[in-house]
Amino acid sequence: MSIEEQIKDILARITRVDKSIITRQSTFKEIKADSLDVVQALVAVEETFGIEIPDEEAQKFQNFGDFVSYVENRVAQKEKV
Amino acid sequence: MAQNGKIRVAVDAMGGDYAPEEIVKGAVLAAEKDDVKIFLVGPTAILEKELAKYKLTNGSSIHIVEASEFIRENESPVDVIRRKPNSSVAVAAKMVKSGEADALFSAGSSGAAAISAIQFIGMLDGVRRPALVGSLGSFAPNTVMVDLGANVDCKPDQFLTFAIAGAVYAKKFLNVADPKIALLSTGSEESKGNDAVREAYALLKNSGLNFVGNIEGGDILNGKANVIVCDGFVGNVILKFYESIGTYARLWTERKLRKYPPLRALAGLLFRRLFPATKISGESEKQSGGILWGVDGVVKIAHGASRAPQIANAIESAKEAVKAGVVESMKSELAKFNQGGKL
Repeated sequence: MSIEEQIKDILARITRVDKSIITRQSTFKEIKADSLDVVQALVAVEETFGIEIPDEEAQKFQNFGDFVSYVENRVAQKEKV
Repeated sequence: MAQNGKIRVAVDAMGGDYAPEEIVKGAVLAAEKDDVKIFLVGPTAILEKELAKYKLTNGSSIHIVEASEFIRENESPVDVIRRKPNSSVAVAAKMVKSGEADALFSAGSSGAAAISAIQFIGMLDGVRRPALVGSLGSFAPNTVMVDLGANVDCKPDQFLTFAIAGAVYAKKFLNVADPKIALLSTGSEESKGNDAVREAYALLKNSGLNFVGNIEGGDILNGKANVIVCDGFVGNVILKFYESIGTYARLWTERKLRKYPPLRALAGLLFRRLFPATKISGESEKQSGGILWGVDGVVKIAHGASRAPQIANAIESAKEAVKAGVVESMKSELAKFNQGGKL
């Protein structure tokens, strides 16, 4: 399963929204994710991919696509190392 | 569940305005009963020093569990997840999850306790966020209100889980066989209220619960409903207003009777004796605080300003909630709705 799909699963499980409504352009508000949902998602993603997402980076995410791109980059860097 | 007949309560010893002094003192009082085992969670050195002030009675069962950190009132509750996963409240929650404790009690930040419950214990199937349920006491002895402040912004499906929690509470603690459930709104018509309330109306109408429709503020105390459902913002405002009525009614009456000193003294006395019982403070004044309903374990929270006697009462009521099987009852009610695809 792709990174995007895995993150979609995590967010859909936490927010209890239908996974199909989540696109790269979706904002957290559109996904009906409040601040606690986002923090829970960050923790779950960190655990799933073995990475750390600093708060200052997370605050820059404007939409789901930003979140996915960040994780994809971090996972790629990790694999390179 | 219980171990050797004792209910195990993990106490966030660092949570509360007077922590750890009053929390430890309250725990010592609660531990005088022989059916409870208390784990004081916090920095060992601090708690050992505090506990050394007391001579424990025979059979008292208090143990210290190390947690090096704690959440301060000015810290964001979500810090408990990201920055302080080993804080006292988080460690206490993890003990419930692992089965080392039967209940968690905290008088610290309600938000941090709720977030610890969500993240480290987990929610029951179909429930998104915990809710606070409370009885309205003497003015409306057969009525409960939910949510009393755990969820300031609510999504429509949360109102349905609030109704289920309220119904379980009314059946279990008020002995109401088939609780009448109402939605608090600005009018009795289905079209009244904000978007969330209107959407919740449709969900409740089709829920199979004994939903009697909307009620207005003026109906809260008249017994039209046994369970009044509202978001935590509205519920908390009403709770605090309700708690203040006694004091202001007494002051107003005393002022009106200023010219009649004997009557004034009598009125003052009557009010002092009658009105404390009308406080709802979560479940009731005696029980101190409230249970977070919908969590997969018993989580009891209390006002930050609680002193030792209230702390002891709250620990006692956490123990009673475990004995009463509130989580199991909630689970079986929710299962009916989950099977029907309504949650």
